Amino acid sequence: MKVEKDKGILKYILILLSFTFLAVFLLLPLFYIVVTALRDGITGYVQAVTDAYAVKAALLTIRATFWAVAVNTVVGVAAAWCVTKFAFKGKKLLSTFIDLPVTVSPIIAGLIYVLTFGRQGDLYQYLDAWGIQIIFAVPGIVLATIFVTFPFISRELIPVLTAQGTDEEEAAALMGAGTFTIFRKVTLPHIKWALLYGVVLCTARAMGEFGAVSVLSGHLRGKTNTLPLYIELLYQGYDFTGAFAASSILVIMAVIVLILRLVLEQKGKKDQERNR
Amino acid sequence: MSQSGADTAAYVELKGINKHFKDYHASKDVNITIPRGKLVALLGPSGSGKTTILRMIAGLENPDSGEIWIDGRKVNNIPGSERGIGFVFQSYALFRYMTVYDNIAFGLRIKKRPEEEIKNRVKELLSLISCEGLEKRYPSQLSGGQRQRVAFARALAPNPQLLLLDEPFAAIDAKVRLELRTWLKEMITRLRITSIFVTHDQDEAIEVADEIIVTNQGRVEQAGTPRELYMHPATSFVAKFIGNSIEVKNFEQFRFFEKSGKDTVAIVRPEHVRVFKKGESVQYSRSVEEAVVEDIIFRGSSLEIRVRLHGNLISSSRSITDPMIEIGETVDVFIYTLFLVDGDSITLVRNQSLKEESVFI
Repeated sequence: MKVEKDKGILKYILILLSFTFLAVFLLLPLFYIVVTALRDGITGYVQAVTDAYAVKAALLTIRATFWAVAVNTVVGVAAAWCVTKFAFKGKKLLSTFIDLPVTVSPIIAGLIYVLTFGRQGDLYQYLDAWGIQIIFAVPGIVLATIFVTFPFISRELIPVLTAQGTDEEEAAALMGAGTFTIFRKVTLPHIKWALLYGVVLCTARAMGEFGAVSVLSGHLRGKTNTLPLYIELLYQGYDFTGAFAASSILVIMAVIVLILRLVLEQKGKKDQERNR
Repeated sequence: MSQSGADTAAYVELKGINKHFKDYHASKDVNITIPRGKLVALLGPSGSGKTTILRMIAGLENPDSGEIWIDGRKVNNIPGSERGIGFVFQSYALFRYMTVYDNIAFGLRIKKRPEEEIKNRVKELLSLISCEGLEKRYPSQLSGGQRQRVAFARALAPNPQLLLLDEPFAAIDAKVRLELRTWLKEMITRLRITSIFVTHDQDEAIEVADEIIVTNQGRVEQAGTPRELYMHPATSFVAKFIGNSIEVKNFEQFRFFEKSGKDTVAIVRPEHVRVFKKGESVQYSRSVEEAVVEDIIFRGSSLEIRVRLHGNLISSSRSITDPMIEIGETVDVFIYTLFLVDGDSITLVRNQSLKEESVFI
């Protein structure tokens, strides 16, 4: 009986601890964002949010996120697929490299691209000859975002694909199904929820990316400023209302993604239970 | 041999097959001939290379050297999907996001058959496997036995000429396994489809297969009918592997058996031994030896009696209707035959008292 009682106390301590932690580190700051954003009243907030530069920054963020997610979905699925379903030399190396962006600081990621595609890089003359500008332009921002968010999708898929094994694919191949048919009919239904979940995580991370993008963007207002960069700019200029108002847009976008994530998780769970 | 020609002609042939997985030599100079229409078992302990052989026939692995022939065609460079085979995986590998109907129809849809034909074929197969009414279920909603049958139907749907089954009964509980064994044998015999299945269970192979190919450490030890393997094991491995064999070194101490070679060991099988209650044996009363019963195992239809004879624990079976024997009782033991194994030569030796008797009679 005593043990039971102790367990009860421990349970409440842990619950209390978790909630306190969340309140102090998450809810309180969020609350302050709202409070500071509304410091100059609703009109001030609306003005800050509908500011032409703010809108442009938000649109650029959405654009960069869209491209990063699109590219990472295709490449991430391909990488996860080949790492789990085929045996080849350099497989270990590849799966290690997939994880690299998680361990490398984003700012270094940004600098790498500056060195590769910038004026001092070997590729610059060719790109310049074709009239392609990467550094201090939108393609650079997209590239940086892709780099930073690359592991999210493949890392979600690899465990699921590994657990599934290769039997079903082999069975389909023996019946004459082509690679694309096998992927569409056998593999995709299996990884659907993990893939969507990975896309959601990737989106969330891509929207908030600051470090790598900061190095590559050149901070041109209305041209290469993403929402996080715009927020920093306002903050540096002591425009707290503007900074926090812009932040609230990002928070709203994050909350939408969070809700999507919850819905997907629930649906995926149900689907998986049915097909266990 | 049979004169029926085409019926016994080699349908699948493996010639000098070698296969390595990195440093591991999985198949060592494998030569196999499988006649048309036969149900053949690849039998061996785990890691003996039997699944590798099956996967090479299916085209799921490629041999490093050697030739694979199916139906008079060299198939080394022909993909598995064009070899006219159906494959049943050990874990069935049913498409878990497709219904039973879609699973069975998959191969036909790939072949772009008209939907009407597919419908009829699936219906026909569902009735063959007695799973009518399950077409809308998902694999997760089926019992183990049903999954196995659906996997069987899916493999059969495109009308393969050769059916390959990898440990088809391994994932099923014991009772259903026995039913399925009989069922599968009936099905295959009825369909007259050449079939090869992999198993590590000798009872399964002996009961189901027309012919058994015994593998060990990547080599083919012996191929033959179950009876041939039982009566005339070609290698010491087969002699020890088949039957509940017990190895005996000091067999010269057994009455009426002589030591032949120096390193010769004897293989004793339960069916070659009889245990009698004291005074029960009339026929062999002069030739029996005394031993003490150490253990009695109830097998349902019979009893397994284990006796200690010159330091060796020898098994024998006894009918439950015979007079009761108890543990610790001194009994009379008579050994009919022994397999003597000297290196790779194997000889069947009869009890000498039997020879004498046969001379007198």
